[in-house]
Amino acid sequence: MSKCRDLDPLFAPYADGDAPLADRASVEAHLAKCPPCRDRVAEQQTVRAALGARRSSLRGCAPGDLRARCAAQAGVSGVRRFTGNRAFIRRWVPLSVAATIVLAIAGVFLFSPNSRVEALATELTLDHMSCFQFAPERLQHVAASSAEHAWLVKQQWDIHVPESSPANQLELLGVRRCGMGIGRVAHILYRWRGQPLSVFIVPRAVRGARPEEPVDTLGHEAVMWSGRDRTYIVLARGQPADLEPVVRYVKAHAQ
Amino acid sequence: MDEDEFTREALSYVDSLYGTALRLTRRPADADDLVQDTYLKAFRAASQFRRGSNLKAWLFTILHNTYRNMRRHDGRNPVDVDSDYVDQAPQPATQYSPEQLLTRATLDADLQAALDALPEAFRQAVWLRDVEELSYAEIADVLDVPIGTVMSRISRGRRALFERLQSARISAADEKAADHKMMDDRKKADVV
Repeated sequence: MSKCRDLDPLFAPYADGDAPLADRASVEAHLAKCPPCRDRVAEQQTVRAALGARRSSLRGCAPGDLRARCAAQAGVSGVRRFTGNRAFIRRWVPLSVAATIVLAIAGVFLFSPNSRVEALATELTLDHMSCFQFAPERLQHVAASSAEHAWLVKQQWDIHVPESSPANQLELLGVRRCGMGIGRVAHILYRWRGQPLSVFIVPRAVRGARPEEPVDTLGHEAVMWSGRDRTYIVLARGQPADLEPVVRYVKAHAQ
Repeated sequence: MDEDEFTREALSYVDSLYGTALRLTRRPADADDLVQDTYLKAFRAASQFRRGSNLKAWLFTILHNTYRNMRRHDGRNPVDVDSDYVDQAPQPATQYSPEQLLTRATLDADLQAALDALPEAFRQAVWLRDVEELSYAEIADVLDVPIGTVMSRISRGRRALFERLQSARISAADEKAADHKMMDDRKKADVV
């Protein structure tokens, strides 16, 4: 019996096929003459098989917004190497997510109109980078009508989502609620010329938003305008002149 | 592995980390906080990750360390392992074959309940091995215990799980028999 007890911890790695050769030999010698221990090894295999068969359902699925928040941690923790304004990034890197959001909100509401627009553009650029960094392989083509419907059902306010536009090399990838601190903002994700492009819709006017004055932030261009109590922002890497046709297209289809 | 690959691979384990955090904390809000803290620490300490080692195991180590710290701050007791628990567990009256048990155990609810009823230390070890597929050495690192302890906890944990699943099967069989008896009694009453 003491032999059974001594060998007991080895039954798990033995059942998994992970026991070292020497242990394996001593377990097998014992099992040959001990039916109760053979049952114990069978128990180990049974439980392992039962758990393995239901692995994904046992593991479950993390809430969608948790994924986005975890992805945002990468952005503010400085894991990614941004090609934009590095001095700016270095100042922001040590800040926690909460501090970043507080600063961004402060920027939006306390600064002068021009600074407010820049703060908003910076905040949205962080969200743009986080969203595209998070599982880019899961971002796949969607139809504008289904994206609009899903948004309305979930968020209870309607938006017009500009459809994919082959003429503008624009492919619609989805709509998400913006994860940053300015509240209810729709974030529409596109692939534009193979690169990420975002359109944000803020359900209020932002003073100082002028489309003729693109904001350069973190290596991105943000073109912003307000109309009918909403503010629209087109954001991507690229020259303002390159973005112009996309901005025209979004103006014609989002409002 | 460059920084982008590191970030992408790390984020691919959100489901695993959340599932494990939920088993540890048993509260979605706490699991949510635990996973976010884990990622924040992991991204900040990315330069300390040894290239070529298992990123998933490294993230689990951070998650478990963070959880232990949370417990310490909460003033809760450290992990309690009753090593006699399995040996003292009552033996079920009827034995079922592993095949029968496996069929029964395909019901998620049975497995979930049986897992949740395990002592924490056993549950963590079995979970990391059979659900998250970490090696014995990686589990020893994650839980900060010797590898022999890991083997023992997995062995005992699986046995306890087996016995609980058997008990569940017996209870289900008893309930079924009781249902049949009730139906028979009703039929007899109708005839009378």
